[in-house]
Amino acid sequence: MARKVLALDAAGRRWTLLAAAVCLVPLLLQLPMPLSVAIAIAGAIAAAMASRRVTPGWLRAVLALAVFGLIFAQGGMNFGRDTGCALLAGMLAIKPSELRSVRDARSLLGFALFAPFATFLLDQGPVSLVLGLLGAVLVLAALARLSEQEAGLPAAGVRHATRVGIVVKLIAIGLPLALAAFWLFPRLATPLWGIPDMSTARPGLSDEMSPGGWLDLIADDTPAMRVSFRGAEPTTREMYWRGPTLTDYDGRRWTASPWLRSLPPAEVEHGAPTWDYEIALEPTERNLLVALEMPLEIPPGVRAAHEYTLTSERRLDRITRWNLRSSPQVRFESDLPDPMRRLALRLPPGFNPRTRALAQQWRSETDDDGALVDRALAWIRGEFAYTLETPLPGRHAVDEFLFDYKAGFCEHFSSAFTVLMREAGVPARVVTGYTGGTRNAYGNYWIVRRMDAHAWAEVWLEGRGWVRVDPTAAVAPERIYDTLEDRLGAGGAGAAGGLLPIADLGDWARRMWNDFMLGFDADRQQRMLQRIGFEHIDTGRLIGLFSLCAAFALGWMLWLVARGERERDPLLRAWHRLGRRYARLGLGRARHEPALAWARRVQAARPGEKALVALTARFTAARYAAGASDATLTRALRAHRPAREIDR
Amino acid sequence: MRVLAGLRRRLDSWARPRRPESLPARLDRKRIYILPTGFGAFVTALLLTMAIGALNYNNNPALLLCLLLVGAALASLLWTQLQLSGLDIRAVHGAPVAAGQPMPLRVHVDAAPGRERRGLHLALGDSDAVLSLDDAGGEATVVLPTLRRGWLSPPRLRISTTRPLGLARAWSWVWPQTRFLVYPTPEAFGPPLPEGGGDAAQARLNPSGEDLHHLRDWRPGDAPRTIAWKASARRDALIVREFERPQGDDLTLDWQRLGALDHESKIRRLARWVDEAERNALHYRLQLPGQAAIGPDRGAAHRHACLRALALMPEAG
Repeated sequence: MARKVLALDAAGRRWTLLAAAVCLVPLLLQLPMPLSVAIAIAGAIAAAMASRRVTPGWLRAVLALAVFGLIFAQGGMNFGRDTGCALLAGMLAIKPSELRSVRDARSLLGFALFAPFATFLLDQGPVSLVLGLLGAVLVLAALARLSEQEAGLPAAGVRHATRVGIVVKLIAIGLPLALAAFWLFPRLATPLWGIPDMSTARPGLSDEMSPGGWLDLIADDTPAMRVSFRGAEPTTREMYWRGPTLTDYDGRRWTASPWLRSLPPAEVEHGAPTWDYEIALEPTERNLLVALEMPLEIPPGVRAAHEYTLTSERRLDRITRWNLRSSPQVRFESDLPDPMRRLALRLPPGFNPRTRALAQQWRSETDDDGALVDRALAWIRGEFAYTLETPLPGRHAVDEFLFDYKAGFCEHFSSAFTVLMREAGVPARVVTGYTGGTRNAYGNYWIVRRMDAHAWAEVWLEGRGWVRVDPTAAVAPERIYDTLEDRLGAGGAGAAGGLLPIADLGDWARRMWNDFMLGFDADRQQRMLQRIGFEHIDTGRLIGLFSLCAAFALGWMLWLVARGERERDPLLRAWHRLGRRYARLGLGRARHEPALAWARRVQAARPGEKALVALTARFTAARYAAGASDATLTRALRAHRPAREIDR
Repeated sequence: MRVLAGLRRRLDSWARPRRPESLPARLDRKRIYILPTGFGAFVTALLLTMAIGALNYNNNPALLLCLLLVGAALASLLWTQLQLSGLDIRAVHGAPVAAGQPMPLRVHVDAAPGRERRGLHLALGDSDAVLSLDDAGGEATVVLPTLRRGWLSPPRLRISTTRPLGLARAWSWVWPQTRFLVYPTPEAFGPPLPEGGGDAAQARLNPSGEDLHHLRDWRPGDAPRTIAWKASARRDALIVREFERPQGDDLTLDWQRLGALDHESKIRRLARWVDEAERNALHYRLQLPGQAAIGPDRGAAHRHACLRALALMPEAG
């Protein structure tokens, strides 16, 4: 069969471009702003070229080069999944420049369907899903138009609303099957392959801390995790969410000790109370977890390092849920072996001479490590200030902070305090994580934001082991433990304070979305089935159950579609229904029987039928006589019933 | 490609109906076939990729969107099938044409009202047409090529559609058990009509006659004395006078008098003569071997009777 190249008509082109554009929108919302704007402009140019008969090749090449150049300039040389998504968006934007045949349009539409899917790799929020659904509906409507054109129907023959209506109807018909598959199709407990990395990592807790590195993180008020407690809740002052512990210092950067990471967890003696809680951790693209100090039980799939830094086996590239228990420590590694003590005292030579002098002076005055710690805290409390506006330090960062500008944030305080302690011979290290949280009034859960990221110190004291010391809290406790209300109140933002319940409500809705939409996985599927009475269902039986439901859904589809489209004209619909009433009495109208002849035949068979002939005459007049309209006829047809048989 | 074409032929030969059927014929699910189009295969691969990716990443929004698309695609398959299901092929009409001429076939289709059926594709060989039904049914015309005179049984007609999404093509074959008459091809050039019927003394044309019928362009075989020289000079082309033959002066087209021509050539010449006699509004009689003479008469019905007899002449030998 010879394949004809069918040139795309104007209506098909408009639909195709509209659908592709709407598919592109959610993806662009997730890409960096300048890149999105550039891709949108390229898309507009390509779409403008689409209507022209011949597009100059050089223009297409320039457009492609510009877009791809920009993408690689943005992402650098490392190719991550955000780069991939940007490339997809770029290609989709340029593709309309070659939109001539129906075939071109179909390949563009198929390609456009990838855009929402790419979006979901970057963001799974409700806005993305709604925009993605809208895009999909428009793609189907565009396909419907292309198919109409292929069938030789003019664009004017089908109204836009009708076309979208058909598509929505198709989706509705397929909905039971889709939902059955969504709930019942066996889910993978562990993925077969991991999700590709991002090329540009979002700032977050990591295995290192260097000067100024946290400023982005502290300015970011998006949620880091949501925590719900079962039973006792700690106070905000007890909410130290322990993340990576940093032991190695090179004079500028703190990094985790790989050796300590590889050792089994140290011995901890726990006190009361015990907090039982679930953390829903937002994706971080890293393996690091946080837990309330000190974790009692380690959930499966998680490893605790020697210093109780928790890492998951899998990279956290989506929202993950962890059930944890913690209780405050009484003793934490009270017996510190020599190599570890040396590690916790190690400082690079040739840095911070003034700090060293001060520490040696203090050491000469006391032998008591605890007194040293108190003295340092008292000094910091008395003379230091909290600020986010700090200069970038020179070589002797700790000296400059302690003796020159005496102001900074947690990064400076924890780092300087730890160095000071080590110089004085007290084993010390930096612990990073989050502190505090905000309680959501609607959902009874705590939200910890990325801006709650914090760094504090741990010193090792004889008999007690590692003890948390938070020098920043000594200076500005309100900056650490406060809640969002306090912050907004302090800033005098009354209006924003009034908006807080709305923001809370929004976050609560988002949490519901995370729970019910994003959180459905193999584990949840098992629990759902257990609740409706299927204990220990294996994959084979699950597939059986799914097939059964799918068969029902298919049967429903079949029935629904076979029922056919409803007659659109209400008059005709009422007329057909009237006909069916008589068909039930065995007096159906034959297909080619004129309406009036039928009515007379009915009257002949049933002498009681007086009104039918008149009604039929009205119907024929309304339907076939030019210009006739009968306002009450539809209602009269609907109301008419075959006359009761009179006993003869 | 050749393997595919062979497979396609094989498939088509399995498809119902396997022998001609009498009309009206109703299309039902037993004889409606549906297969994905190339684009449908592409979309299937696309959705499969998306589903595997979404399941692997346990990405629920992606999975939900993918499943909704799968559901809509499956629903569209049913919809496509139901575009054809319940169609009644009422009749196929074809008016006779001369062999070698394309014969237009009017296909009349109707269906129970209530379902919109538009943009159906009707194909016969390389010829196709769009069939759209309203309450009173629908009609479309396809063209059947003719090669030789005689009865022509039409091949299978295909009714197909890819609506609403173009993902799959549903098709059904209709094989009307009917035959269409194909007239013989008149010869292109040849001698003029024979002079008179029976008595050769009667001249066919009367140069001095008053009842001049009309002037026409010269054709090979026209006698020089019929040329209207004055008119020809005016029009700068040879023009020939034709005269009305007086009533009762019948023309006999006799097979036996055609001499040494071969069988098919005789038929073609007679066919041309029938047409020419009809054009000249002559009364003519057709005498074929072993048959009663047809006519004398004139008019469409007579022409049809003559050409039909010629078309159905047995083969030589």
